[in-house]
Amino acid sequence: MIAFEDHFHLSRAELRKILDVALSRGGDFAEVYLEYRIYSFVNMEEDIIKETAESICLGLGIRVLSGDMTGYGYTNDLSLAKIEKAACSAAAIASGKAVANPGQFKSVQQEASVYTADSPLHLVELKKKIGLVQEAYLTCQRSDPKIKKAKAQFQDQVQYVSIINSEGLFTEDARPQARLACYAVAEKGDRKEFGFSGGGGRIGLEYFSQVRTPKQIGQDAAEEALKLLEAVDPPAGELPVVLAPGHSGVLVHEAVGHLLEADFNRKKTSIFWDKMGKKVGTPLVTIYDDPTIPSFRGSYNIDDEGTVPKKTLLIDKGVVTSYLQDRLSARLMNLPLTGHGRRQDYTCPPIPRMSNTYIERGQSDPGEILKSVRKGIYTEQFEGGQVEDSGKFTFTISSGYLIEGGRLTAPIKQATLIGSNIDILQKIEMVGSDLAFGLQTGTCGKEGQEVPVSDGCPTIKISLMTVGGRA
Amino acid sequence: MKGNPPAAELPGLAESLVVFARSSGADEAEITIGDGSEFSVDIRLGKIENLVEAGSRHLALKIIKDMKTAYASSSDLSQETLKHLIRNAIKRAAFGSRDVCAGLPPPTTEVIDIPSLNLFDPRIKELEAAKKISLALDTERIALADKRITNSHGASFVTNEVTTILANSNGFSGSYDQTFYSLSVGLQAGGTDDKVEDYWFSTERFFSDLESPETIAKKAVERTVRQLKPRKIQTQTVPVIFEPSMTAWLLGFLFACASAVAVYQKLSFLADRLGQRIGNDKITVIDDGLMPGKLGSRPFDSEGVPCRRTTIVENGVLQSYICNTYAARKLNLQSTGNGDGTGVSPNNFYLVPGSPSPQDIISSTKKGLILVRTIGHGLNSVNGDISRGAFGLWIEDGEVAYPVSEVTVSGNLEKILNQVEMVGNDLEFRGPVCGPTIRIAELTVAGE
Repeated sequence: MIAFEDHFHLSRAELRKILDVALSRGGDFAEVYLEYRIYSFVNMEEDIIKETAESICLGLGIRVLSGDMTGYGYTNDLSLAKIEKAACSAAAIASGKAVANPGQFKSVQQEASVYTADSPLHLVELKKKIGLVQEAYLTCQRSDPKIKKAKAQFQDQVQYVSIINSEGLFTEDARPQARLACYAVAEKGDRKEFGFSGGGGRIGLEYFSQVRTPKQIGQDAAEEALKLLEAVDPPAGELPVVLAPGHSGVLVHEAVGHLLEADFNRKKTSIFWDKMGKKVGTPLVTIYDDPTIPSFRGSYNIDDEGTVPKKTLLIDKGVVTSYLQDRLSARLMNLPLTGHGRRQDYTCPPIPRMSNTYIERGQSDPGEILKSVRKGIYTEQFEGGQVEDSGKFTFTISSGYLIEGGRLTAPIKQATLIGSNIDILQKIEMVGSDLAFGLQTGTCGKEGQEVPVSDGCPTIKISLMTVGGRA
Repeated sequence: MKGNPPAAELPGLAESLVVFARSSGADEAEITIGDGSEFSVDIRLGKIENLVEAGSRHLALKIIKDMKTAYASSSDLSQETLKHLIRNAIKRAAFGSRDVCAGLPPPTTEVIDIPSLNLFDPRIKELEAAKKISLALDTERIALADKRITNSHGASFVTNEVTTILANSNGFSGSYDQTFYSLSVGLQAGGTDDKVEDYWFSTERFFSDLESPETIAKKAVERTVRQLKPRKIQTQTVPVIFEPSMTAWLLGFLFACASAVAVYQKLSFLADRLGQRIGNDKITVIDDGLMPGKLGSRPFDSEGVPCRRTTIVENGVLQSYICNTYAARKLNLQSTGNGDGTGVSPNNFYLVPGSPSPQDIISSTKKGLILVRTIGHGLNSVNGDISRGAFGLWIEDGEVAYPVSEVTVSGNLEKILNQVEMVGNDLEFRGPVCGPTIRIAELTVAGE
């Protein structure tokens, strides 16, 4: 762990002073969030290492809570004068008498780290990162003459955060993150198709030899594009849908996860706000969000408010059991913290977010699930999705298969599926025993803030869903 | 403690870092500094929810040595960090590959008169926080007065003031100031289990151009309640009318496909199509960076190339890609002044309007769907395929009959551009990418 003072050059006495300024007009709570992030990037395309980049993000955000109101100021100028100005901006939310701060900060002892970076990537020399990119690129490009274009990109960062608040908390985290991605374009006649694959997480260099190699990533991207050359337009209309294990977790992220974020429920804008303890899905549906899965992209030792996170049971056998909480919503709703207050960077106040979200494994044999469908679609790779508070959501598949007579037949192209979340949860008919997680490459956006996430699910059968293909 | 240089010293800092980079061994160097300040207030149900006031700076640099490129950026503007990043970038460049297209744009003598572009509203310095807060409160209050509105996502008032400074080793040194004001409100109607939602906003460079709280509230209410009690429809292929915000969305996808970066990377179906028909003769698309006061205007792009007016599509024929310097060299073209880092961004990218009013377009449609919102992903630039979740209004005999939800629309951009039957007269520059109401002869709408 890097010493706090090395980057931020702030003493504890100065931090106390900053918190005093933040609470100079009253308020219930004040917090200083310090961030130092180093990022590196390598891009290979057209057979050359086209560019490398390095980036430093240094800054501080100050938050004051007063009732259900939030004041926020931030600066990347870490002179005491500018920090105090940011504290004054945050303080403007309150309009009462100054509140005293605690005399002592308590450092929180964290349990075992969820980061598994044996060889931290920010310390690995650039040449090795370039080697990973080249291997993925060349594997992809050479896998088939129909691959006309490959691109491979490597990104890694380490984010040091320190969180200090008026309750006396003083806690720090150093979060690694890496992502190797490969893109392929395959051509045959007039047809052009796109393939993608990748890997990563809160990991070190060893991941790319032990868990997912650049070769696999390059090969998978090429295969996806090649498969799509043979793909047909999916049918349009309402059909049974079987979700492949792994990537299909996007569905649970969109259909359920977002609308269980506490802020939407506190404000009663989410369809779930009046459904705590109520049955919303079939008994086959159990959903968790777990920020503590080692090495996963969405994991963290502490959230961006300094809370040690918990594996959170969101839906238990079809019944809503918990929301994803940050401090503000937990306090206003009088519910326990779950450790899901996250932010994109120091310029943003934390809000409730997902981490690694998944549907728990069930009892069904995946083969039996397929066999039960006479005509339908099998979703395999995903581009992403979106949800509204009304519960209407979409997710877009980049590839899949037709199911005919209980078997996978022709590959299908891009299609968007749309549904209403509670309706879909009630149409989950079978849940497989084969839980898997998607590529560790996903990013989730909410209110303009992007954070790394992952999701997973076993093979799942939805009895009927609207598929947006071509009629 | 680390401090930043004062604002007045930033142009000098950019120029001195260019000199430092050259003396440290770079063949070419480019330094960009963004200096911004933000005020935003979110109010909800008549109370302040979030109040943010802050300033921040960001520096980005590009180094070329032996035709190899390296980039870096930092929000730490201390000399020590910046010099370290420059030295590191020069070292890293050696790990890259020689690229004959790499390099800064050639020196230019063309000078754009910045004040005539009307990018900056001095009123931003005087506008009081209380006024900004009351505008947001008024907007939501007016909207909530409508009994059909059952909940609020809140209203926001945001101002941004941004200074962009650019210097490079080909002798370019320039800067410009911009202001932005935005007022918006998001609403819900219906009960818990039959909620519908929508929003409306106004974004302008000049405070006096903002739509009033009444206008924004009324529009947001109307857009929200018109979706109440939606029906699902049968899967079918019908004429589809795009509202201006949907035309803007479609044009955003056209922009991505006409990007010279996507073209040289073979990631666009428009590759090798210059001079060819990609739409019918109703389609003329312009990118113009020099329209006074418009949201996408700027004097020069991220590389210092002067902005200009470029015809992208003329009567259906693809005339130009959207180029930065690198992609232009790859394709043997000229930069169009759309540079944005390693990519491109729109200036004012719009579909030239036609003569029918939106009402004429609706009235002349016997049966079809008005597309009002889409959600999700589902844009594939490699082949132009589109597939999105959609919300709309069903038309019977030239009139809106009922709202439609839980459908998807799918099609292909080139086919759509070839099937545009009517182009409306209602172009408004609500963002850098915009267009009027249009009607497409047929699209697949998937429902039951």
